[in-house]
Amino acid sequence: MGKFFQFTMMRAAMSVFTLLMVSLIVFTLMELVPGNCAERYLAFKNTQGATITVKDIEAEERRLGLDRPFLIRWGSWIGSVTFKGEFGDSCILRLNINQLLSDKFWISLIICLSALVAAYAIAIPIGIISASSTSALANNSLRFISYLGLALPNFLLALIIMLLSTVWFGDSMTGLFSKEFRDAAWSWARFQDFISRAWLPIFILGWSATAFALQTVRALMLDENGKLYVTAARARGLYGRKLLWRYPARHALGPVINSLGFDLNRIFNELPVVALVLVLTEAGALLIEALARSNDQQLAGAIIFLLTASIVFVNFVTDIMLALMDPRIRKGLIG
Amino acid sequence: MSTTATKKLEDQKLKEAYFTASQGQLIWTRFKGNKTAMIAAWILILLILAGFFAPFLSPYDPTIAGRDTEYENGAPQIPKFWDENGFSARPFIYSVERERSIKTNFRWVTKINRDERRYVHYFVKDWQYSYLKIDWNLPGKMFDIDFRGFTFDTHLFGTDEGKIHLFGTDQSGKDIYSRTLHAIYTSLAVGALGVFISFVLALIIGGVAGYFGGLVDSILQMITDAVRTIPAIPLFMAMAAFIPDEWSSETRFFFISIVLGLVGWPTLARRIRTHLLTERSQEYVLAAELSGASPSHIIRRHLLPSFTSYIIVDLMISFPYMVRTETALSFVGLGLKDPVNSLGALMQNVSKADVLLNYQWYFIPVLFFIAFVLAFVFVGDGLRDAADPYSGTKK
Repeated sequence: MGKFFQFTMMRAAMSVFTLLMVSLIVFTLMELVPGNCAERYLAFKNTQGATITVKDIEAEERRLGLDRPFLIRWGSWIGSVTFKGEFGDSCILRLNINQLLSDKFWISLIICLSALVAAYAIAIPIGIISASSTSALANNSLRFISYLGLALPNFLLALIIMLLSTVWFGDSMTGLFSKEFRDAAWSWARFQDFISRAWLPIFILGWSATAFALQTVRALMLDENGKLYVTAARARGLYGRKLLWRYPARHALGPVINSLGFDLNRIFNELPVVALVLVLTEAGALLIEALARSNDQQLAGAIIFLLTASIVFVNFVTDIMLALMDPRIRKGLIG
Repeated sequence: MSTTATKKLEDQKLKEAYFTASQGQLIWTRFKGNKTAMIAAWILILLILAGFFAPFLSPYDPTIAGRDTEYENGAPQIPKFWDENGFSARPFIYSVERERSIKTNFRWVTKINRDERRYVHYFVKDWQYSYLKIDWNLPGKMFDIDFRGFTFDTHLFGTDEGKIHLFGTDQSGKDIYSRTLHAIYTSLAVGALGVFISFVLALIIGGVAGYFGGLVDSILQMITDAVRTIPAIPLFMAMAAFIPDEWSSETRFFFISIVLGLVGWPTLARRIRTHLLTERSQEYVLAAELSGASPSHIIRRHLLPSFTSYIIVDLMISFPYMVRTETALSFVGLGLKDPVNSLGALMQNVSKADVLLNYQWYFIPVLFFIAFVLAFVFVGDGLRDAADPYSGTKK
């Protein structure tokens, strides 16, 4: 057990390190945007009729702590993020970023994770079965679908579905809530409304992920199916589903679990564009707004940091899961 | 000589050819055997040629300069050889008239006049275009490059009167056919530049990490992994937002390519590093080291050639991702913009309900995009299988 604890701690330390690196990269990028908060605040005052001097800007910078060296500012930013969970204020929207994001971030995370779960729920059984099937038609069509997952980007799929539904149902299916629930507080009715609309973004976001996962699972299963231990099991009289689940599937699923974090990464990549097409007002669309309209570096930094943090967390969880699932690692750690 | 003897001799020759073939020849032989990949390769070559000769193949300027004010939001015009008025060896289209009055609810309505033909002519002279034209305005007067290049004004086809729009026109009257061809070129160029930049970075970082190993490797790996975890498109968006509005389209183009390259290197770097780590302990490297070769010499002359084919395959595979990312960015409006035509910029117009209901031909560039990416993926996969020496023997 002590070894397992050590392993977990080691992984956690590595995740924290990765997050620190990421935060440094994100913070540096935020700093590269021309103009800082002090200038922004005073530029706003300028539009209100007040005259601004260089001295005013310097005073404002001192007040906001912008005159400190870069690394110290990074330290205080990451400190307040980790210990207080506080991302500070967006200096363009003049709002607290936590307030802006909280609900939206959780909703988008739930949608992305459901897309991921749905993708694997489809890809794992179909991939395993297709690898052992010999039907050329089934295999070729599967391959084609997998490739289409790459060639037909999610936003195009979203567009096509949206426009078709406009023609046939008269409802464009956009947005995550219907009108009466858009600004309402969370309730059972609002939740039902959310579920009835969320399946479309989940399907669209899961589309490429399913195609990719299908291809991975199938390739891994094909590799394992040819191995001697499978032949040996078959020789002992095992066949069909029992054989597949007990032997090759267990081996093949290891790398699949390992890649969950990167699949989530891919889904996050699709999120902003799909969100724009489907007019979802959660983090994805907010990101575009933050970037395109206003160069809002604080908000953009916070969003990218949160997205990356959830990927790092998923990576950490899958590492632990893999260690528990794979008997070769588990025996070494727990005994 | 008996037939069996000739057959034996031929077999012998084939075998010899197989054993003495270079790696490139072997890969090519295996690749030729893959029918899907070969078809994809032909499509890809056609698309690349179409992109490269876009100005020659397209009858009109793809920018606002080439707009057809008489035919806005016009439907595709497909050349015909015969109709009820008789046969013609020269393909023709019909002339169109448009009308806006109280009868049409004050909207422009175009009407085809089947009695008046417009004949298609070949090698017509129209707008000017030039190849190899370099006009860079770099900081400092000394570095300004102004090279005229070669200017032409011949186009493959055109009509004697009026204009021809194979894929129709958009809302400002720009020819969608010309725009699509130019867009293929732009997307290819952005992708190529992005792949090149990420390749150079991956080569340096992966090469150093793989060759030196140990602490250098651990640190570089941590950095690579951190970069790999950041979702690329949101990051692209953050970086694309730095682009000031007043930047010219060419500058935007280079900036987008550089950004694509800067975020795309980690996967390739990781593969190069893993390969180098295994190759590093081989005897031929030791021999080179003992002969006093420098590390950079060993990496460049001995290690890299040992897996050029893998690198080429990796580049092929990462290409469609670059194109896809560029398309997504341009689609959102953060990437390339008019007058540069990229496939993503063309798709921007598609996102309106009006388009699906009334102007379906806006979707033609989408088909080209799908064909383009699919061709690349199939060729990349075919190359990967061909470059794997065990692909044939695998069960």
